[in-house]
Amino acid sequence: MSHHESVVVVGAGLAGMKASLMLAHAGKKVHLVETLPIIGGATIKNEESFPNLECSTCLVAPIQQEVLQSPDIETMTLSAVEKIEGDKGNFTVTVRKAARYVKIADCIGCGMCYEPCPVSVANEWEENLGERKAIYVPCAGSLPNVPAVDKEHCLKLSGKQECNACVEACMFGAVDLDDKDETVNIEAGAVIVATGSGMFDASSLPNLGYGKFPGVYTPFEFERLFASNGPTLGEITIRDTGKVPAKIAIIHCVGRKEQGYCSGVCCMYSFKFAHFLKKKLPEASVYNLHSDICVPDKSYQKFFDGVKGTHTEMLYNSSMEDLKVSSNGAGLKVVYLDEAGAEREIDVDMVILSVAMVPDEGALGLAEALGIERDARGFFKVLDEGIVSVESSREGIFIAGTAEGPKDSQSSVIQAEAAVGQVLAFLESCRPEAAEALAEDLKA
Amino acid sequence: MTEKQQEREFTPKIVGFLCNWCTYAAADLAGSTKLEISPALTVIRVMCSSRVDHNLLLTTFFEGADGILVAGCHPGDCHYGKGNYYARRRYAVLKKVMEGLGLEPERLQLSWVSASEGNRYADVVNAFSEKIKALGPNPINGRSDF
Amino acid sequence: MKAKIGIYVCECGPNIGETIDIPRVLETIPALEGYEDVELVPKSFGLLCSPAGKEYLAKEITDNGFTHLVVAACSPRDHNSTFIGVCKEAGLNPYLYKIINIREHCGWIIHDKEAATDKAIQYIRSGISRVLYQSELFERQLEITPDVLVIGGGIAGMEAALSLASHDRKVYLAEKTGELGGKAARFASLLPRQGRGADVIREKIKAVEENEHIRVHLNTELESSIGFLGNFEVVLAGNGDDEKTDLKVGAIIIATGYRMSDPGSFTGYEYADTDEVYSSLEIERMNGGEGIALRSGAKPASVALIHCVGRQEKGYCSRICCNYMMKIAGYFKKQSGATKVTEFFFDMCLPHKADQEFFDHSVGLGIDFKRVKEIGLSGTSVEFAETGGGKQKMDFDMVVLASAMEPSEDTEALAGLLEIDLDERGFFKEAHQTTDPVATSIDGIFVVGASQGPRGVSDSMLLAQATAGRIRCQLKPGGKIVPEVKVSEIMEAYCTGCRTCLEVCGYGAIYFDDQKGISIVNEAVCRGCGNCFGSCPSGALRTKHFTNKQLYREVTEALK
Repeated sequence: MSHHESVVVVGAGLAGMKASLMLAHAGKKVHLVETLPIIGGATIKNEESFPNLECSTCLVAPIQQEVLQSPDIETMTLSAVEKIEGDKGNFTVTVRKAARYVKIADCIGCGMCYEPCPVSVANEWEENLGERKAIYVPCAGSLPNVPAVDKEHCLKLSGKQECNACVEACMFGAVDLDDKDETVNIEAGAVIVATGSGMFDASSLPNLGYGKFPGVYTPFEFERLFASNGPTLGEITIRDTGKVPAKIAIIHCVGRKEQGYCSGVCCMYSFKFAHFLKKKLPEASVYNLHSDICVPDKSYQKFFDGVKGTHTEMLYNSSMEDLKVSSNGAGLKVVYLDEAGAEREIDVDMVILSVAMVPDEGALGLAEALGIERDARGFFKVLDEGIVSVESSREGIFIAGTAEGPKDSQSSVIQAEAAVGQVLAFLESCRPEAAEALAEDLKA
Repeated sequence: MTEKQQEREFTPKIVGFLCNWCTYAAADLAGSTKLEISPALTVIRVMCSSRVDHNLLLTTFFEGADGILVAGCHPGDCHYGKGNYYARRRYAVLKKVMEGLGLEPERLQLSWVSASEGNRYADVVNAFSEKIKALGPNPINGRSDF
Repeated sequence: MKAKIGIYVCECGPNIGETIDIPRVLETIPALEGYEDVELVPKSFGLLCSPAGKEYLAKEITDNGFTHLVVAACSPRDHNSTFIGVCKEAGLNPYLYKIINIREHCGWIIHDKEAATDKAIQYIRSGISRVLYQSELFERQLEITPDVLVIGGGIAGMEAALSLASHDRKVYLAEKTGELGGKAARFASLLPRQGRGADVIREKIKAVEENEHIRVHLNTELESSIGFLGNFEVVLAGNGDDEKTDLKVGAIIIATGYRMSDPGSFTGYEYADTDEVYSSLEIERMNGGEGIALRSGAKPASVALIHCVGRQEKGYCSRICCNYMMKIAGYFKKQSGATKVTEFFFDMCLPHKADQEFFDHSVGLGIDFKRVKEIGLSGTSVEFAETGGGKQKMDFDMVVLASAMEPSEDTEALAGLLEIDLDERGFFKEAHQTTDPVATSIDGIFVVGASQGPRGVSDSMLLAQATAGRIRCQLKPGGKIVPEVKVSEIMEAYCTGCRTCLEVCGYGAIYFDDQKGISIVNEAVCRGCGNCFGSCPSGALRTKHFTNKQLYREVTEALK
């Protein structure tokens, strides 16, 4: 039986990057497939990560650099898996690479092309809190530091009008508006799926006022608002009004009931937000409206104890359905039921909704493309949820990180490392020698 | 030195020892964002702020630096675990030595600048070079007779 | 031989070409003072990192016979590795080259071109001065043994052994007691599914015993260990006899597990040994044996399950208690549907995606969940206050306590023996909590299962598999390891033997030679941070590629 020693890793977040580097160190050729124009995943949206409040960029940037500089890792950005054929150890993975319109090999990342671009649109990577051009990198410090052209908004590519501003601005001839999408077939022995997760759509719960009141934020919106490389350069001001909030409510467990599970990380990032707020706005009043406190790692309780009372007032919210965010004229009013079921009310300027982690929006399509199953919640299913947590329902395909279910960064890395271990063992078992040895063992 | 140069206002010479993992990355980010940063600073890359020992710092002062900035990862973020804590502890001692030499302790600054803080890097450097400018030239420049 | 330094300024298109006066830079360099004995060859090129640029640079190095190379271009974070590759290709030792960042540190941040050019010249001067004092360094390859020692024969240790053992990798499994399986061997069922239980553990034990590449040492403990990743020399000692086993292994996996803390040590829990108060492990044992019964032999009609015992005192949540208490509630209900089961909890901790479903299932079994804000135990009488309510008292036939998990009794001694760090709670400390959770402060020593922190069976097995992944990548059978080159070294003549460097090294890379009375750096372990250098009071340390002379030259030239 023929087999391949290379591995396709889908998703270049923390889990996917760690898995890729490990496989490269083990001498495997890695094809790292990422839908965004940059690598790094959700972690790089956070200025600091819990529980040690380390700078996320300092943690992740060296990993990103190593991935991009590794001769054994082919990083394919703006790419998605279309289909997989063949059998374990002998897959052909079809990947569609969308045109970047900027040649990575020629671009040096000077950024001279952004300025002349006449288009300005909301920057989705910045949670639409800032703007970008049609040729852009999502944020300062993006890796690879090479822009991409958004063909939907580019005047020339969308056929709106003739424009060559970026092409003319580039001294390296790196911008190529004739670039085409391409489809490539990769021979691989195994696949690791590490596509991460999405966030519960807070606007589906109208009582929380998300999308209606500018002062209501999702976690990633708040992360970018706090980030020193974000759209406000780290100034915490409310959109539209530009006001600095004096009172902030952080509401836990948004979407927990709808999704049917606790995400295990929201309490911690909510407490981190309390820390962020007090760090930049020492005078502010912060309220955490919580139900069950879930701090499952050995170090998390200490973090909680460190913010409880000093950085945030803890308010028990006994019913998410009865909680309502409304306008009180100048700001926002949060009405909720306390532990005894009595109605309470607080006036705030800003509300942060700690929403559930949900399956990535591309999970269904990817499951179909790879022929793997998802669980009832929509996350990728692992063979035996109780015993082993990295093998998918299809032999040779493995799952790591939050694509498998909500978890913190540490658990994502553990799963990535476990997936690599299983992939290496699996590839060994696919070798002809292994098959022969097994046959001999059986004979004996 | 020509007369013309002497007439110019005092431009301090500042040496910045930056850790490879955090602050050097912040300097890169400040660069790629094209922030304006005082030319007074000369950057020397080291792997960790803990490598910068007293001898190196004192030699740098004797050789004429008007100010020294040592910048690394935030406490707790050190790539090597605890290097920056050691650096901090060592400088507390060195500041006493500097006083004895007639050198204002403020001429040595230890700052924590993380990889995503390009703007803060620019602010830290610019503010430090203003501070050193106000302090004036290094009084022990070239006095290796100590 | 006269030094001949190639100095190549990259235009980087307009980024350096338009922000720095490159012709002035090139004119200035040959006239630099103090380099009369050195041949300086300054040139510029459009884009040195392009394929054409790399080819050009490699050819220039070979054609000119440069002894050293300075590239004035962008940040080393962008293209240091690119030009190191060029040096290697052209046969120049890459440690005789230096990149100068005149883009991020000059052209892009100094907006006056004249000033930026002056600064660039100053940086290049510093670079030339430094590169002359750089020395050739060479990568070394070290032989390794791929074999692994696992300490602890519970589920995590067995899983690690099974994940690693193969025809080209032997695993030694040392277990302190006389049998494999650990605590989980007594469990009737495993979380989160109620279906499979001790049979999984039995299957693992059988698989370990039958695996010809795993050698099990029962009643055995670690006596000593020296060495580093790929090359540890360990001695195992029998705890009932004097038998010693010397082994050479490439990695050590700690899987010594946990123990339950003593509820009696926490305030508010007062009961006698004769009271019907049990730990979850005792219930597991009864459930796996004759059935759960009171000391009289009768089945309990009412049971209180109390969560979070000792959480406040210990300062951490043990992660799995909420789940296993629901599992235990299920044992009672299965034994007799009429048993009245009450669970007292503070916060329901259900961090896995399947946990909520398990909770909903438990509610469906008729278990009474009471959320409390305070609780106390006196015998089998529980005094509590529900959230939003006043104090109440309830009496039960039996009480089960979920006491905080704590490190097993050997943890501290083992950490001392292996010289690895413990965290403030007494568990083994990860090399990095987020990005390197199964490694420890010493490369090649890993920690899995509940000895790293409270964990259940499936998570413990996952950690074991993660460690197997790490070891498979780092220690390939027949492979070699290439240690860091830019490491510290100690000049014997200057070392006073004060041992300060031993204390500051975070990697255990320095050891003390008792015979010579000096410290020695193990270059295979050193990561080159230079912290030891900063700590050495006698100037005995050298950090390769960041030597005093090199940095002094760089500084002095900059200040001229």
